[in-house]
Amino acid sequence: MEFNSELMKKFSNCFSPSGRENNIRNLIKEEIKDYVDELTTDPLGNLIARKKGNGKKILFSAHMDQIGLIITHVDEKGFLRFSNVGGLHPKELLGLRMIFDNNLEGVICSEELKDKEKLTMSKLYLDVASTSVDFVKNNFQIGDMCVFKSEYYETEDCVICKAADDRIGCYILIEALKNHPATDNDIYYVFSVQEEVGCRGAKTAGYGINPDIAIALDVTATGDSPDGIKMDVKLGGGAAIKLMDKSLITHPQVKELLTNLSIENNIKYQYEVLEFGGTDSGAIHMTRTGVPSGVISIPTRNIHSSGEIFNKNDVLECIKLTISITKS
Amino acid sequence: MIKNFLFEVCSNHYVSGYEHTNGNILKKYFQPYTDSFEEDNIGSYIFKSTGTNSTKIMLAAHSDEIGLMITSILDNGFLRFTSVGGINAASLVAQDIIIYGKESIFGVIGIKPPHLTPEEEREKPLKTKDLFIDTGLSKKELEKKVSIGDIAVIKRQPLALQNSIISSRQLDDKAGIAVMLVVAHELKKISHNSNIYYAATAQEETGCRGSATASYKINPDIGIVLDVGFGLTPDMPPETASLGKGPAVAIGGRFNPKLTKKFIEVCKQYNYEFQYEASPSSSGTDTESLQINREGIPCILLSIPLRYMHTSVETIDLKDIETTGKAIARFINEIDNSDLEEILCF
Amino acid sequence: MFLKELTELSGVSGCEYEVRNYIKLKLNEIGCENYVDKLGNIIAHNKGKKNKTIMVAAHMDEVGLIVSHIDSNGFIKFQAVGGIDQRVLNSKVVEVGECKIPGVIGSKAIHLMSADEKGKALPIDKLYIDIGSNSKAETEKLVSIGDYVTFKSDYVEFGDNMIKAKALDDRAGCSAIIELLSMKLDVDFYAVFTVMEEVGLRGAYTAAYALEPDLGIVIEGTVCADMPEIEDHSNSTSINNGPAISIMDKSTVYDIDEVRRVAKVAENNNIPYQFRKSSSGGNDAGAIHKTKNGSKVVALAVPCRYIHSSVNVASKNDYNNLVTLVKMILLEENKEQ
Repeated sequence: MEFNSELMKKFSNCFSPSGRENNIRNLIKEEIKDYVDELTTDPLGNLIARKKGNGKKILFSAHMDQIGLIITHVDEKGFLRFSNVGGLHPKELLGLRMIFDNNLEGVICSEELKDKEKLTMSKLYLDVASTSVDFVKNNFQIGDMCVFKSEYYETEDCVICKAADDRIGCYILIEALKNHPATDNDIYYVFSVQEEVGCRGAKTAGYGINPDIAIALDVTATGDSPDGIKMDVKLGGGAAIKLMDKSLITHPQVKELLTNLSIENNIKYQYEVLEFGGTDSGAIHMTRTGVPSGVISIPTRNIHSSGEIFNKNDVLECIKLTISITKS
Repeated sequence: MIKNFLFEVCSNHYVSGYEHTNGNILKKYFQPYTDSFEEDNIGSYIFKSTGTNSTKIMLAAHSDEIGLMITSILDNGFLRFTSVGGINAASLVAQDIIIYGKESIFGVIGIKPPHLTPEEEREKPLKTKDLFIDTGLSKKELEKKVSIGDIAVIKRQPLALQNSIISSRQLDDKAGIAVMLVVAHELKKISHNSNIYYAATAQEETGCRGSATASYKINPDIGIVLDVGFGLTPDMPPETASLGKGPAVAIGGRFNPKLTKKFIEVCKQYNYEFQYEASPSSSGTDTESLQINREGIPCILLSIPLRYMHTSVETIDLKDIETTGKAIARFINEIDNSDLEEILCF
Repeated sequence: MFLKELTELSGVSGCEYEVRNYIKLKLNEIGCENYVDKLGNIIAHNKGKKNKTIMVAAHMDEVGLIVSHIDSNGFIKFQAVGGIDQRVLNSKVVEVGECKIPGVIGSKAIHLMSADEKGKALPIDKLYIDIGSNSKAETEKLVSIGDYVTFKSDYVEFGDNMIKAKALDDRAGCSAIIELLSMKLDVDFYAVFTVMEEVGLRGAYTAAYALEPDLGIVIEGTVCADMPEIEDHSNSTSINNGPAISIMDKSTVYDIDEVRRVAKVAENNNIPYQFRKSSSGGNDAGAIHKTKNGSKVVALAVPCRYIHSSVNVASKNDYNNLVTLVKMILLEENKEQ
């Protein structure tokens, strides 16, 4: 199986911050419509693709949304104020180029500060490079969102791009869907909305589908960068089987299932314990009477930056593991 | 019986997410008093004692305890770990540890000697990431026995102090489970009309998870949540509940006012000691998920006063467990004999 | 407009019975079918032409205090219920418990304060309520632990069409909904007066579970900081600029199509409006849109200065415009196929 760079590039460049997932939803729909038995969108906007069967109801979830900014004010001189959509820190934003759905761009600047340490979101503004206040007022409204602007780049084994969190999860689900094996199981591939603002889409999708088991595909941090986070996951170490994060303790049977499948199918895997963060599985596993849940994580460096880095071989292992679950 | 039960469960581990490992002990104690047993999909145990009417009363106490999880295997037999639930790192220093790997492994959490620790560093608050479990094994040996994600706990045998006071790990919330056992025992004697569900809920310490799924499964008419609350020590504010003076009855928006009032009336009428606890917002207990489950569950919360919460020497008075259990049995009896809808009506 | 009556009632989160009883009475007068659910929410049904299930919600509760301890001299210690800014507590008159025992929150005389203490807000655990009792026993006869405490703050009309009261967040919403129900619009919607919004949207969860709305419309009182020396981009909303439409807060990313549609309705009907220029805070919409299969939500609010204190200030124009806007949105729903 070759890594489909074209598809991933298209996904990474697709504008779709939390709550504005239209573009990516349409893109994914187009990509998978010939491979599914049923394709629906729920009231919050989750895209749910189903491969019907009479066996176990398995839910896979990857979120379509990406982090970004939302415009909260357009001032009299044509500068924009904003707030973050998802986990972003003001210090990481300064100087970044941002792009809107209408392809207009801006750069993030700061008011003059004596103490740079005291930088807060309200001291930052977006300069959209126009001296015409009318132009700005006609093209930008309160409520508009923008995302990082950055180029997709890849080396022999790795990719640098924005929104790998979690377009790479979507990519994996689509590859699994295209290679869907013969199975009795009833499989739901959920492309969820609003994960970055609190796993909101997964909560309603989990309720609606009411599965027997749920697996989220999402990125996770790594411990292999200089003086970085203390954890054992590394880029190139294979599919990461999550055992715990702040939203979930992986169900022991799911841990066993994923581990055994990896061993049986010769899939390179590593265990992951993340001391912060959460994923769609955190929301899904508490719906109704509970859903045994786990997560297949894609080891990723620089998460929530404009240049997230992952390894193509890890992605391949994740796809293999996902496919092996569908027929388990 | 209560002391035996507590000493037995507290000698085993029930770390969040792994409550089932020693779930048989709970079954052994509850099954003689109940008719059926089921589980939700997160790990909560539900024991049911069938009644004669259709009312469903859910008692909930959480079965999990806080613990540790291994995050890295380092050279020279050291392990890095994180906490499962909220643990004060300072309470981990110089403790004996058991790691539940392929087999049980003994270890200790040590600390850099003061001679080598600069003054200002000694003053700083400790963090879990600064601590290590020392297993004394070689890395090669250790890797055979332990893997990332294995859980561990402080090794602590329950201890009887003076009078009826005992000290142990995980009395939060095995004290609550013990109260349910007293209720089951009492109700066996006086019988009951309502269907009683004893739910040992999983993963409370990591976010009141099992109580959400267990209460969805049971769909009860009312909920009685049993947890521990802060017990008075010299360093606590004077309004803190004291050990040995009965359960602290929580008052606040999370708890149905009329049901709470009814419980207080029962205590007064039958001379069961109790205390008050103002709890205006999140109580951090299973009532968080119970109250807003489905179309809502009217709840009360009773807390057993406990000193040194979330340490390995949690301390309670067995008298409070007896009092609370008996008061609840009487309360259920009173509900059986009155119009529940009337009580719950706003 | 029922703002005077509603804001003078006590209804601290978890103890909304005065407000509930008043609203029930009004609903019965209007002849609007209603019931109270297990948590204490009032759920009223305005019957009419139905295209989708609509839930209009406002919360009955307000921020306040709760008695946590009576000390050996009969003074009352308390905790905050909901997000109270501790700076607003100094030197206030309060009412304690169902019998509304009057009391004052005192403060150490400035003469006795050290230089460090002067001007600083005293933390809640250093404050106490004095009801004039001589002993613990005397206080205990009048007050119990768990009694709720409300600010005493009169409803006053002042300035240019302005009002000052406590609890405009969210009695303004309650009042607006009662007005809407009394109009007997030919559009089907459920009006929910929720409990315990200020302590975690508790009532909205269970009401939304029961109703399964397709669209939730939350009516609120919201933050307004159009005060001197606060820059435009930080003031969230401004008084007299019309009802504020939320775009995003900590609990919800509002459906942008619905937001733009609501703004369009306002424009088409010449109703002034503004966007709420902040992504902090939260309201019942957060609970409603995530319940069961999920739903679309919008939130519209009357800007209130000094929210979460005992003196909220709002404009009657904003309030009236809000009522008109919600009415037009509902009538629009009626037209839709």
